[in-house]
Amino acid sequence: MTEILQILILGLTLGGVYALMASGLTLIFGVMRIVNLAHPIFIIAAAYISYVLFTRFNIDPLLTVPINMVVMFFFGILVYRLVFAREAENPRYSEMTVLLTFGVALILDGTLGYIFSNTQRITSPSYSTQAFFIGDLFIPKAQLYAGIFSMVLLIALWAFLKFTPMGYAIRATTQNRSAAQLLGVNVARISMLTFGIGIGLAGASGALMSFLFSFFPAKHWEWIALLMSLIVLGGMGKQLGAVVGALILSVAAAFVSNIFGPTWSPVTFFLALFIILLVRPQGLFGDKVEAT
Amino acid sequence: MAYLEIDNIVAGYSHGPDILRGLSATVEQGQVVCVIGPNGAGKSTLLKVISGLLHPRGGDIRLRGESISSLRPDEVLRRGICFVPQERSLFPDMSVRENIRMGGYILKDRDELDRRIESVFETFPRLRERANQHARTLSGGEQQMLAMGRTLVLEPEIVLLDEPSLGLAPQIVEQVFEIMNLFTEKGMTVLLVEQNAQKGLEYSDWCCVLDLGTMLFEGSADSVLDDPRIQELYLGRRQGARVTVQPQEGVA
Amino acid sequence: MSENLAVTADISPEEIRRQRNAERILATSAPRSRRLLLIGVLLLLFAIPIQAFLGNNINYVLHLLLFTMMYVAMASSWNILGGYTGYISLGHNVFFAIGGYLSGMILLYFGVSAFFTAPLGGILAMLVGLFFGFITLRVRGPAFIISTIALLLVVRIFFDNWDFIGGSNGMTLPLLDLPVHLVKVPYYYGMLLIAMVAIYTSYRIKHSKFGLGLRAISQDEVKAESAGIPTAYYKILAYAISALFVGMCGSLWGQYLTYMRPNIFLIILIAANMVLMSILGGKGTVLGPIIGAIALITINEFFVSQLGSSELNIVGTGLIMVIVLLFFPEGIVGTLRRRGKLPRILDWE
Repeated sequence: MTEILQILILGLTLGGVYALMASGLTLIFGVMRIVNLAHPIFIIAAAYISYVLFTRFNIDPLLTVPINMVVMFFFGILVYRLVFAREAENPRYSEMTVLLTFGVALILDGTLGYIFSNTQRITSPSYSTQAFFIGDLFIPKAQLYAGIFSMVLLIALWAFLKFTPMGYAIRATTQNRSAAQLLGVNVARISMLTFGIGIGLAGASGALMSFLFSFFPAKHWEWIALLMSLIVLGGMGKQLGAVVGALILSVAAAFVSNIFGPTWSPVTFFLALFIILLVRPQGLFGDKVEAT
Repeated sequence: MAYLEIDNIVAGYSHGPDILRGLSATVEQGQVVCVIGPNGAGKSTLLKVISGLLHPRGGDIRLRGESISSLRPDEVLRRGICFVPQERSLFPDMSVRENIRMGGYILKDRDELDRRIESVFETFPRLRERANQHARTLSGGEQQMLAMGRTLVLEPEIVLLDEPSLGLAPQIVEQVFEIMNLFTEKGMTVLLVEQNAQKGLEYSDWCCVLDLGTMLFEGSADSVLDDPRIQELYLGRRQGARVTVQPQEGVA
Repeated sequence: MSENLAVTADISPEEIRRQRNAERILATSAPRSRRLLLIGVLLLLFAIPIQAFLGNNINYVLHLLLFTMMYVAMASSWNILGGYTGYISLGHNVFFAIGGYLSGMILLYFGVSAFFTAPLGGILAMLVGLFFGFITLRVRGPAFIISTIALLLVVRIFFDNWDFIGGSNGMTLPLLDLPVHLVKVPYYYGMLLIAMVAIYTSYRIKHSKFGLGLRAISQDEVKAESAGIPTAYYKILAYAISALFVGMCGSLWGQYLTYMRPNIFLIILIAANMVLMSILGGKGTVLGPIIGAIALITINEFFVSQLGSSELNIVGTGLIMVIVLLFFPEGIVGTLRRRGKLPRILDWE
């Protein structure tokens, strides 16, 4: 019983982190209908920022969360203006835009590889080796802190979307772009800002990732499929769906890892992806299949 | 100077052919103008051009002498022109209240916005009942009520309605036109595109008949229905126009 | 005529009939210069290894050429699914691996050369393609792209953990028993042959009812379906055919390299290259992937010789992709064609 609870807790805390990672993706997809294949490499780039700040300046990774968010927000806006702004004029978001994100991912992958080489990195603050002991339960501090931070940020995101004017504008643009436009929303500007926010969220996730998983530039390919499986399960573009998808799959993966070994836990996500595509392509919360 | 002037508009979509080919018309303040015509005549396109969703390839739209044809939709909105499109313009996962709030997106004053939201609820008690429900759970008639009622938040001068009765049961259609009457009582000018010509003309002052992207003829709403040209348009075969035995509901 | 902002597809039954007629006329009056060019190029390619037969070591040239021809075949193959049908596969090199490993294992256990088993590799790849096509072609656009990436990663994990085929360390294959200056020649002709067949298949598909149906699907699948085109069947067939040649290339490549390892066959950069070559050259055209492959490999060779490092290679690939997609989305051939500047000799569409 304790073992199950143990795995559950691990799955949930990690799930929170995955959910945070997926939230930026979902935001961007909702507003711009772009699947940002470069999202994981942005997360890894942010992890490198945390890494540098930790190893050079001894700044705790958790403290780098706000730093990363701001830096990546502006970086995201820069990338948007350079690459996606033109495409956003186009009412049809085709696969070409997805390939654009793929190209951006390659550029960042190569650049990070050039600067940092492909050695595995990880930040190691004190809590990454410590744990809480509650009865028979063994709760690693790192996971717990990451999970808590993720939940806090996700709640903040929810509040932002629900109560602020920009949040309204973002939701409106996601749900009915032309209606939003008609009501005065500057959809081009909202797209840009949303992209920035999405990448800012990636920045936060990166800070958390820096002490949770070892990372190197080429790792982003694994993360793409993983994040995508969460989003497809939840229903693309739905925030709640992404969170639920993340939690479910993370817990499932934790059990798989426990039973079959850690190498197979990524397979959980991929298998889930194929099953969903077969059985219910719109995911748990999504709308019926959209036409391209 | 005319109130709303449509001056020789030429317009089309993407790289497609011209849908509107030199359409001209004038709308007086406070009028209810009904635009009718067969499928493909360009009725919806006209509204899209006026609202700023589609920029014309030629010609101009002028509101009280000021050209508005190259303005963005939100700029047109600020000039007091609201567009209720044919496709449902609601935000399905937002509540009724949130949808109405979005109607007032361009309003800066939060208190004023709250006041106006309340007044919309006053006018439409049905919506108040459903204030916290998601828009997608509303019935067709309620959705149209929300879409139209939402425009009141901005207290617009001109409302453009694109086939408001589309897909709605006859009693609901009555309700929709009652709402339109409400608009006119408040002094708003209404430009109405209707496939259901009879119904539309019943509630209108003036009528413009479009075909193949130009104005065939116009006249007072009462006189148009009896005009023999209407018979020909809807019942006979004309060069290029689709043959419709009776005005059809459904996809334009 | 629909009065909304959606872009309507330009394929209608009348247009299909009209295009087919035009095609027939064009085919019969194809300029002899085009055929001459083709024959000339082929003769040249067949003749190059003569240098090797004369005892000279031109292995660098042979390697570069066969590498290029392999990518020409693979890009053309990918193009059938990605360019003609509009379904972008970013994990297409699973078929490369399937072919490579099948032939490799047969070589190891039964001693039969990949030159004989390449068709088997292709067929196995095709069967897998049919299976996965059936599952994943139910979704469109971004979800489909993701599924192809996921497929690649799953296969990678399985191959890394499957000891029978060597796991992540892979397996070594025997070298051909030929003198060093001749050892690459069979592979050269092998790839040349596959490339020829792939290009020819691509060409025939483009100018067939099947190809027209694929194009309709790529523009507006819903309309294509309602026009009576059996979209599900066509899509899966396109997926399978596009897997066939990639699988065959994989078979030869594995034996050529003399080892098979997951991190050679199953890295996403190979799929990325296939995609980029088609786009750079002009996806949806016959000539595009060919030009794209030649161009990209040339650029690559240039950069590697100047800058060396492989990370910058990745940056370069990404940069080219972004620039092409932003400014020349139709690729070299597509853009030239649209502007009417494509010499008739090169217009194989």
